[in-house]
Amino acid sequence: MKKYFVILLATPAFLNAQRRLINDTLQMQGDSVVVTANRTERKLSNITVPVNIVNAKQIQQAGSLRLTDILKEQPGLNMTSGFGAGVQLQGLNPDYTIILINGEPLVGRTAGVLDLNRIALGNIKKIEIVKGPSSSLYGSEAMAGVINIITESAANIPLQASFRYGTNETIDVGINNAISTKSFFYQGFYNYFTTNGYSIRPNSNSRVTTPISRYTLNQQLKYNINDHSNIAVGIRVTDEKITNDISVSNGGATINSLGKEHNTDQNISLSLNHRFSNQLKTSFRTYFTEYNAKQDLITITGAPYYDLLNHVFKRLENQTDWNVSKEVNLIMGAGAVWEGVKSSRYDSEQIRRTNTIQYAFTQMEWTPWKKFIINGGIRFDKNEAFASAFSPKFSALYQLNEKHKLKLSIGQGFKAPDFRQIYLDFTNAAAGGYSVFGTAQAQQVIENLMRLGQIGTLYDSYYQLKTLKPESSTGVHLSWEYEPTQNSFVSVQLFRNDIQNLIQVQQVGAYITGAQIFSYLNIGRAFTQGVELEAKQKINNHFNLSAAYQYLTTGDKDQIATIKAGKVYTRDANGYSRLLLLSDYVGLPNNNTHKAQLKLNYSAGNGLYANFRMLYRSNWAVNNTNGNEVFDKGDEFAHGYISLHTSVGASYKNGFAWQTGCDNITNYMDPLHLPNLPGRTFFTTIKYQIFKK
Amino acid sequence: MNKQLKQFAIYIILSASIAACSKSTSTVVLPIAALSVKDIPADTVVGLSAQGAPITNGKYTFYSLEKNAIVPNTDSASTKWDIAFMATRIIINGGTSGAGQGGAFVYTGLFDDLKIIPADSVFKTDNAPTSYAITAGSGKGWYTYDGLNNLITPLAGRVLVIRTASGKYVKMEITSYYKGGATLPASASDMEKLTKQRYYSFRFAYQPNGTKMF
Repeated sequence: MKKYFVILLATPAFLNAQRRLINDTLQMQGDSVVVTANRTERKLSNITVPVNIVNAKQIQQAGSLRLTDILKEQPGLNMTSGFGAGVQLQGLNPDYTIILINGEPLVGRTAGVLDLNRIALGNIKKIEIVKGPSSSLYGSEAMAGVINIITESAANIPLQASFRYGTNETIDVGINNAISTKSFFYQGFYNYFTTNGYSIRPNSNSRVTTPISRYTLNQQLKYNINDHSNIAVGIRVTDEKITNDISVSNGGATINSLGKEHNTDQNISLSLNHRFSNQLKTSFRTYFTEYNAKQDLITITGAPYYDLLNHVFKRLENQTDWNVSKEVNLIMGAGAVWEGVKSSRYDSEQIRRTNTIQYAFTQMEWTPWKKFIINGGIRFDKNEAFASAFSPKFSALYQLNEKHKLKLSIGQGFKAPDFRQIYLDFTNAAAGGYSVFGTAQAQQVIENLMRLGQIGTLYDSYYQLKTLKPESSTGVHLSWEYEPTQNSFVSVQLFRNDIQNLIQVQQVGAYITGAQIFSYLNIGRAFTQGVELEAKQKINNHFNLSAAYQYLTTGDKDQIATIKAGKVYTRDANGYSRLLLLSDYVGLPNNNTHKAQLKLNYSAGNGLYANFRMLYRSNWAVNNTNGNEVFDKGDEFAHGYISLHTSVGASYKNGFAWQTGCDNITNYMDPLHLPNLPGRTFFTTIKYQIFKK
Repeated sequence: MNKQLKQFAIYIILSASIAACSKSTSTVVLPIAALSVKDIPADTVVGLSAQGAPITNGKYTFYSLEKNAIVPNTDSASTKWDIAFMATRIIINGGTSGAGQGGAFVYTGLFDDLKIIPADSVFKTDNAPTSYAITAGSGKGWYTYDGLNNLITPLAGRVLVIRTASGKYVKMEITSYYKGGATLPASASDMEKLTKQRYYSFRFAYQPNGTKMF
């Protein structure tokens, strides 16, 4: 493949340069096409559920390299740290948002978190963010929403190369190339990223962001067999090596370790698409993805530590779209998934734990009259390893007039218990010898340990262990969109998610030594609710302003019940206990009550642009410090903060472009609570592209 | 209407006279004053080994609740002490721990609300090493342990109800395990967490008359 690519590039015929004018006007809610919300192409103006679109220009002008960089600047989203950078959507943890690339899911989560730094943004056309449960179309994990990354498919850039250098010896090199004829389309993307990382604690040999070198390769081929059929192949490979030297303190003794991580993420998709008529089309898709993570840790004392994870996911799917009439559109689909995981944290890393899923879904969109669209869908997932799930969804859009629009969506989402919750068999020798056992074997393992006389105590929770059910949620989103003029846009969105059967780690017993034993139980009930506001204003031909705000409250329903029953205590200023009032309760940890952003964009009209972005997060609870099990005002909070970002750049008609920027201008740092936030960083990018005639 | 009013008047008069009556006949029970104790060391860290592991003397600190004072370790075999502390372990002078009549249990509720020890309360005694009157372990007795940040926090709303070596009753609330009277922030240095831990602060009420009322 690579050879082929080089030869083609060297042929001058493919280097037809074309001058492409870059359109700098910001469209308010420009009627772009959305594919994620309905699993089929729909105009944004006809989408009945809340969607945010981030386009390539926004990504490029913000100077974003990795998916995390751009998502943290989107309304309603928040990045979490720990096990990589995950995304929290409307207060729900990273586990509950499915991440798709061109509609196919990414796998390889650690503790439920998919590290979004894995995804390079160099060849991204747009990112679609659908808020609210979407399991009716996407199945497990689409409980809070869906983030779909859509790669470039336009073939008007035969070659594009970029080089970026930034603080901490961060280098990013990207090459994009595309070739197309009438029936053939090829696109390739190569990216190399390296950083020396940084350490924000003085005199520490631990690096908060670890030295990384990461390669990304993306190849897409499409061949039009005839006017009605095409076949498409996509390959994506990410390979990263991380040097992770860490220090672990245990009982005052510090152990320094030299760590090496090697993660690979590769996927291939093949699809056959056929259009029978303008009304009927179908596509067969196969998808194979594998995630491999290997971690080697050698302590100074010589004791080795080794961790391995291998996750394979295969899928076969058919989807048929049928425009029954002008008013009725129908989507039907069915598929099967085979999934397997091997891990050194399970009882044997040789045994692959597997699950198979069969599913079917259908969705009908009905437009009874022009200003009114109703959409209903349902999906059924039959799981081998755990209970089946039905996921219905209903949504509607009503256009009052040219300026006002109302949307309502009600849906159910679920998240299947993951392999670790079922098969984990992990004892942490480094930190006190605690163990975590998955539900499939917890009872058996503990019984065996009991026979060996190693179990000190068993709690009531041990006897409650049983096959896990999927976690499920019901989400309601109500939004109002208002476009007073062509240059202004305002939206208000109310949301509420109710979650049942939350799977939580629970102590089920203790060893004779006192070390804790944990397993998983479906015990939690929680909610998140809030308001999201967005406003965009085109000030004049040069300036655009956009603002967003989110108010969020969350809570654990069982904790609220015990607080109401007068069974939860806290401490006053003297350290004396008092009853906790509901007004002291702050809900789930790591959630910000207020989150806001303000962005000012400038465009000179001749290719020169500049922007200034301000992000704000209010306080969030991080630690339970006052002797109860709930998070309240007396606990430890991380301070809210504002971060400022700017970038300036220009693109010229001869194909050259440059950009320079500064992130975290005020150098805000909080090593303890924001390990992923480095101090002030600078970067400069140079880009060259050859345009097609 | 009139009848109801009359009944109401009678009720008022009756209840007033009952109140007056009870005031004059029963003995007035004054609440026992609570005493505050700060920073009692409990086998504190005295140094670090070459590998950086903490070094302690491995000895209990004995305390007399009757005298509100530390009892020297030489009197450990006597009935002069009621309660003793060593790190998170608490022992009571009775059972396997001492010659006294001591026993205890952990009551869930507020210190001020516990005016009478319920009649059906069971005082447990130490039965080392399998069980103790005051259960050790995170979340099980009087404290929780935050393994991530290496901090011990006394559980809120827990009262240690103690029978002393001489059979008197005490209620006690532990307020802190760190020197200075408050749990350290998670951001405190490891060194600070090591050296400032194992200091008990508590308040207690001692009923000298042998009753279970405070």
